[in-house]
Amino acid sequence: MTQTPAESSETTGVVSRRGFLASAGVVSSYVAAGAAGFAGGALTLNAASASTPEREAELRAQQQSATIPFYGEYQAGIMTPLQAYGTYAAFTLKPGTGIDQARAMMQLLTDDAARLAKGKPTLPDGEPFLATEPARLTSTFGFGPGFFSKLGLQGGLPDGFAELPSFSIDKLQPEYSGGDLVIHVGADNPLTVAHAARQLSRTAHTFAEPLWSQSGFNRPQYGVPSDQTGRNLFGQVDGTVNPRSENEFDAQVWASGGPSWFRDGTCLVVRRIQMDFAGWDKLDDTKKESAMGRRLSNGAPLTGSTEFDAPDLSAKFENGLSVIPSFSHVRRSRMGTDAEKFLRRPLNYEDGLLASGEPNAGLIFAAYMADIQKQFVPVQQRLADLDLMNTWTTPIGSAVFALPPGCQPGGYIGEGLLG
Amino acid sequence: MKNSTSATKRGFSLVAVVVAALALVGCAPATPEPVTPTASDVWIKAIPELMDGMAMTGVFMTLENPSEEDISLVGATNTTEGLTETPMEIHEVIMGDDGEMKMQMVEGGIVIPAGGSVELKPGGYHVMYWDLLKPIPVGSNVTLTLEFSNGTTLDVDAVARDISTYAG
Repeated sequence: MTQTPAESSETTGVVSRRGFLASAGVVSSYVAAGAAGFAGGALTLNAASASTPEREAELRAQQQSATIPFYGEYQAGIMTPLQAYGTYAAFTLKPGTGIDQARAMMQLLTDDAARLAKGKPTLPDGEPFLATEPARLTSTFGFGPGFFSKLGLQGGLPDGFAELPSFSIDKLQPEYSGGDLVIHVGADNPLTVAHAARQLSRTAHTFAEPLWSQSGFNRPQYGVPSDQTGRNLFGQVDGTVNPRSENEFDAQVWASGGPSWFRDGTCLVVRRIQMDFAGWDKLDDTKKESAMGRRLSNGAPLTGSTEFDAPDLSAKFENGLSVIPSFSHVRRSRMGTDAEKFLRRPLNYEDGLLASGEPNAGLIFAAYMADIQKQFVPVQQRLADLDLMNTWTTPIGSAVFALPPGCQPGGYIGEGLLG
Repeated sequence: MKNSTSATKRGFSLVAVVVAALALVGCAPATPEPVTPTASDVWIKAIPELMDGMAMTGVFMTLENPSEEDISLVGATNTTEGLTETPMEIHEVIMGDDGEMKMQMVEGGIVIPAGGSVELKPGGYHVMYWDLLKPIPVGSNVTLTLEFSNGTTLDVDAVARDISTYAG
């Protein structure tokens, strides 16, 4: 099943387009409509046509039965338009887990995930009826640095894949950091996410101990789709500069360097960002917008009028001050080159109260890129050095994972490394 | 690739077995060829360690009968080397007179209705392994031969799975 590099390079153009379309969710009209920029507005459902009870029932059935193919050139759940709910669960390999056990674990996880993606229960599923509404369910797997070192597979480490350096802004807590294995589940139905995460966690648990689990949510992408990117809990539009075309994914997300088993894989950075709502609430809109460099109303840069206008970092007021201030998030994150772009699939979290009585809430920042060192670290370093948003946000968890390419029926995720 | 647990791969091997079985019975053209049921989603409850009195487990699957007559699963034989020397049994779980659930052999076997299917699952019908001589780790495979009332047999490959979430 594993393609040799020669085979891959000959067929990349064709396979990659097919993988892209499958992964982008061309399975039902609402998915295509939700993927503004992916599928070019194949909008068949709108507020007017969804207004009858029959239409709403039809829409709901479509939402709940929609499936994303598990098998393909790339793992699902990366290029897939962001689902409304998601969970990232990390594990550490048990001491007795060697390569044979790791292979068995990935074969079983692959089998589970392929069944769940079709709305079918796993083999040992005790609650099979919870599997029947896939709602664009995707299950995505990745390996942390410890997976390679514990299994003696250091030779298979992807280029640029290593733990992040420590940043001055970090206040990392062990309960949200690290891990040898990550399982990421996403779907438009929270019950579906919970069930899939539990099924997959059970399978993993034979071979690995649970380390942490983080769940979050987003605006659903079904129903009345919007061209505007989703918002975080500070109300900011988040994810404007994400890759959207196949070429952008090839350039930013899918690994093309070494080692060969990792071709069409990608790297994942998961950081838990706690938000200080008490501090944020004291700001007026002008201060909030200058901290970000974007307008709250629609995410447009302060030098533009629509979300996708390019920020003009050189624009100045008459008094000589920059319209997009030196400390703003947009300027700090954009100072690099095109080589420093990557995909973000963030989830918001809201998890009860802190001891202070403030909301225990924030952002599960999840970023995907071919090379962590080249694409992510320089951006994060600039933000750590100077970004006014650091005043109200604190990274409290951090982990990195290498996500293998997808697999075909009969194969399993990670076969290039473990086979 | 080896030890693949994918449904597709098992499906292919099952097809091969069915074809082989049909080819064998095809030598007697005068009588109607008995139909071999198909098995899918075959798995066995893993036994990571042998413990006193616990050296037994169950095999579960979905059996389909494409023929126009009922066929029963009447027996099974282990084909995994060194796994057990005790005959296997076809079981069901029923509520006894005392209200307790208990396991017993199925009189006449498990009926797969004509044109229908039957599910073997935990707490219900299962194929029983007794007196295991070695553990069955999660992810390993066990082979056995199913025997049906019409004289046909079917080789199946069961993947070992754990059914409790945090059993250690």
